[in-house]
Amino acid sequence: MGEWIKTFKQGLSIENPLTVLMIGLCATLAVSTQVQGALFMGLAVIFVLTMSNAIISAFRKLIPNEVRIPIFIVIIASFVTIVDLTMKAFMPGIYQFLGIWIPLIVVNCAILGRAEAYAYHNKVGLAIADGLGMGVGYWLVIVALAFIRELLGTGKIVMFDATLIGLPSGYAPPGLVLLFPGAFFIFGFMIAITRALGERAEKRRKAVTS
Amino acid sequence: MGKSFRLIIAVVVTCVVAAGGLAVTYLATKDRIAEQVRLAEENSLKTVLPDAVEFVDAGPDILEAAQTAADDVDCSAVYRAVSADGTLIGWGLRVAGRGYGGPIELVLGLDSTGKVTGVTILTMSETPGLGTKVQSEEWFLEQFKELPEGFDSADMKELDTISGSTKSSRGVRNGVEAGGRIYTDVLSDLSGGE
Repeated sequence: MGEWIKTFKQGLSIENPLTVLMIGLCATLAVSTQVQGALFMGLAVIFVLTMSNAIISAFRKLIPNEVRIPIFIVIIASFVTIVDLTMKAFMPGIYQFLGIWIPLIVVNCAILGRAEAYAYHNKVGLAIADGLGMGVGYWLVIVALAFIRELLGTGKIVMFDATLIGLPSGYAPPGLVLLFPGAFFIFGFMIAITRALGERAEKRRKAVTS
Repeated sequence: MGKSFRLIIAVVVTCVVAAGGLAVTYLATKDRIAEQVRLAEENSLKTVLPDAVEFVDAGPDILEAAQTAADDVDCSAVYRAVSADGTLIGWGLRVAGRGYGGPIELVLGLDSTGKVTGVTILTMSETPGLGTKVQSEEWFLEQFKELPEGFDSADMKELDTISGSTKSSRGVRNGVEAGGRIYTDVLSDLSGGE
């Protein structure tokens, strides 16, 4: 159980797919203009990552090394299509915003990366912990990024047609925040902050042990 | 032989299982998706023809004639827009012009004189942030309302195109232009009055 929790936590902190490993950035920067969309994008990634990790790990001894990549892709693509169809059927508004980025989860390197680097070599339980940890880590970062971008870029946070937070009306939102350069700037700051926090924690741990 | 056979079996089994799972999901969501598509179309029709209370399918004969008039543009539905007292006040058309990334499906509203009452985009697969400007730049779809009655390709040339999205703009324009041809060739005789 201890190992399970450790694996789960790694995805959130020291091996966070976005701020540390920096994989799967393309879709992240694209959809993080709206908290609501980012929330569901994150959930879709958690689902696909956990399910594909679990399945790949469960059948890892049966999947021949030579054809593992095509098999991974088929498994991942199936889960993505399930998400795609379900979202289309039940959440058309959100699907319209996320659009092409949902099918593109298939080629999101965070998922294939975890299948190849982790699930293929580890037990099912741990692979699920890794999938959940990586997924939740992705989710937290994309929602935080979307929160900053939507708030600064549009001056308010809108979810399910309700304005949650609004900046004073005198604020003129800079369009740059919603464009890709803005995404890179803000993401850069987020990486810097997580690095600084990580270093501080590291120092404290050393101070305690020595 | 034995080795490659094992590889083939592994891939085939994976694909069969995946296809089975997807077939089940597809069957489970098919009706809901069709319903959502229908709702989206109804909302679009209401947006372009706000005065109408009901949209009646014009029938296969008119649709076929409309498709002939639309020429290379795809016309997949023609609706009569009926007002509360049952008179025909216009037409709703679903047309698809070729954009950059595939067909751009439009819902086009025409009043009974053939003037455009509104254009909305139903589906498209244009480049996000570039071709999708045909939807996000509001003036672009609004300008079609300025077209005169019985507009033709000469009138279309007066309209502005979004720079950087030439092909997407042209796709929308071709769709609307086909709507004009459909009106002139087919619907004007059916509109009654004048």
